[in-house]
Amino acid sequence: MSEQNSYKNLTQEQIKILQSQGCSAQDWSLVKVTDGFEPERVRNVQFLGHIFIGRFTGDIKLAGGLEKPSGIYNATVANCTIGDDARISNIGVHIANYDIGSKACIENVGAMATNPGASFGNGVRVAVLNETGGREVMLFDELSAQFAYMMSMHRYRPNLTAKLFEIAQREAEKVRSDRGKVGPAAQIFSTAEIIDVNIGAQALIEAASSLVNGTILSSAEAPTIIGSNVRAEDFIIAESASVSGAAGLKKVYVGQGSQIGKQFSVENSLFFSNCEAFNGEACSIFAGPYTVTHHKSTLLIACLFSFYNAGSGTNQSNHMYKLGPVHEGKLERGTKAGSFSYMMWPCRVGAFSIILGKHTRIFDTSDFPFSHLEAGPDGRCLMIPGLYLATAGTLRDGSKWPSRDRRKGCKKRDIISFDIFSPYTVGKMIKGCSILKKLQDNTKRSVEEVSVNGTQLKRVLMRTSQKFYRTGIEMYLLENVLARAEKALDGGIKKICKAFATDEGAVYSLDWVDIGGQLMPKERLLDLTAAIENGKVSDAEAFSSEIRKIHQTVEKDKWLWVRNTYKEYFGRDLEKLTKDELCCAAESYHKTRTKFLKQVLADAEKDFDKNSRTGFGQDGSAGDLDEDFRQVRGEYNANRFVKEICDSIEAVEHCVSEFKEKISTIF
Amino acid sequence: MDTEQRVKKVVAKQLKVNENDIKPGSEFVKDLGADSIQSIELVALFEEEFDIEMDEQAALAAKTVGGAVTFIKKVIEDNGGKTQ
Repeated sequence: MSEQNSYKNLTQEQIKILQSQGCSAQDWSLVKVTDGFEPERVRNVQFLGHIFIGRFTGDIKLAGGLEKPSGIYNATVANCTIGDDARISNIGVHIANYDIGSKACIENVGAMATNPGASFGNGVRVAVLNETGGREVMLFDELSAQFAYMMSMHRYRPNLTAKLFEIAQREAEKVRSDRGKVGPAAQIFSTAEIIDVNIGAQALIEAASSLVNGTILSSAEAPTIIGSNVRAEDFIIAESASVSGAAGLKKVYVGQGSQIGKQFSVENSLFFSNCEAFNGEACSIFAGPYTVTHHKSTLLIACLFSFYNAGSGTNQSNHMYKLGPVHEGKLERGTKAGSFSYMMWPCRVGAFSIILGKHTRIFDTSDFPFSHLEAGPDGRCLMIPGLYLATAGTLRDGSKWPSRDRRKGCKKRDIISFDIFSPYTVGKMIKGCSILKKLQDNTKRSVEEVSVNGTQLKRVLMRTSQKFYRTGIEMYLLENVLARAEKALDGGIKKICKAFATDEGAVYSLDWVDIGGQLMPKERLLDLTAAIENGKVSDAEAFSSEIRKIHQTVEKDKWLWVRNTYKEYFGRDLEKLTKDELCCAAESYHKTRTKFLKQVLADAEKDFDKNSRTGFGQDGSAGDLDEDFRQVRGEYNANRFVKEICDSIEAVEHCVSEFKEKISTIF
Repeated sequence: MDTEQRVKKVVAKQLKVNENDIKPGSEFVKDLGADSIQSIELVALFEEEFDIEMDEQAALAAKTVGGAVTFIKKVIEDNGGKTQ
């Protein structure tokens, strides 16, 4: 777009042409144009106030290869700047107070206007988790999952909250304006109402119903799509997201690469990167990265999620008919809810657990990741800790998530840690194991069940669950140690032991935290918190830079955790390991990893067993059942996932024997 | 009581079936109605009954009562006839 001082007044000749084409102006002297302005491409237009118009010489390329001439046709335009080769056509009411980028196309739109002092969704307070407030997150264009998490979850540090609000408020003020923006090459078609909405470059808005007070972040590399019959008010929708299919949004943030559609209705909620929300409803949720809900009659309410999958009919209550809808739930990463599962808040669910049935009791399983949580007939939660540690579903999820990152462009606001096994989950397993051991030691054999944090735990399974967890703990520690040793193998035992040393700048915390999808040692979080509180981190850019720095050092921190935990768990100092001990570690890893992978295989095999064949061979004879199954579902041995796991088992064997061979030749 | 009788007793109690209806050829899932969770519980109960530690996966591979008896006997034998 040209600078305003490069515009000129229309010539009398140009005014005459415009008038002859049905154009009028409140004051022709307020209509300015650039050099080379061709009045032939402006017809039936009423100009109000200050207008700046670029050159119209080219065509706009539309979907399907259609090309339409740039220009302004059948419109009332008030106080607008219109870039080169933009096209504005058939505006029902008016376009007012907008700067419209070059090659943008606005066609068949009702009213489009910016009111004085608009903030475009910035500064809106979204009441997540507690419907009645208390954990509000203030929207701004550069909001990340990490920023929002700290703003809403760490209310026990009021100074931190105040500082974060100051940052958000300043960011919101930066965009406050009397004029809205439509970015270059954005396309807006058949939309009834757009009020106080900033629209980024190459965004596509097609047949939306109403967009009020919001921002659609979009760029050439990461275009954003708003589809038919969408109603959105008080919102920010980030790059490469899509909101379509008559979705209804009120006070909502939609993160990069997220998809909302199929009549989903949502209020007071945040969806960060790569979420999917279709058909159902959400209210006051904090949906961390990869939160997925696809089904009708699913209501997600007042809860924190990430890497979550809601089964059909999933439902929760945050209201106990006393002081209002004030209760909240915390589902740690990777949890899944079975069809028609129900939970009564407050509850807290450990990572990668599966929730089944109607839970009407309050429980906290945060120290027991990978658990089976099934409601009994009386609504109590029956827990089997660690049951889902070695399952096909968990392992598939781990590889699926990174490959389904839909965020485009170079700017990715949310930091996402994808690991299933990490100091976060393994640390929880160690804690869980220790609790189970104590319980086992203190429970008489005559006791069938014990209560643990509101759940029921069968005594006989305490030992089994410890075995599940030990597999995960040992596999993780040994895998990391051997990977580290392998890199230094050629240098002899001294070099290997040196490789086990702490990396410079690493930070240790026994406890790790999951900050909106980013894993980090608690110490790092405390440092960041202090830096915000004391003003060292005082704007959104500095915050973003800090969380990136933490992410860049996470491998060093992880190693320090592994190193210290190894010593604690196995009772051996890594830097004093002998050749024989290293060989033993390699053998243990081989055994544990293979056991784990075989458990995963056995789990996958259930999808091919006799029970899974029920209903196959429709209308045929008994002999047709297996062939029908084979044609539809394939064969176990030919299944891609099964093959991958079999290959992994072979690879482990190969790696370990190569490792041991190298050790024996070196020493 | 021999191993088979002890196994049957555990199975009968856990799956709430009549001990006399349990045969060596009875399949845990198909004939006795065990689901995957009950199968894991059964392994844990066998461990407790015989004071042994079993590899879950190997133990769960035994689909029949007779198979479980054979597996348990082998674990005890591998331990030199000792339980933990």
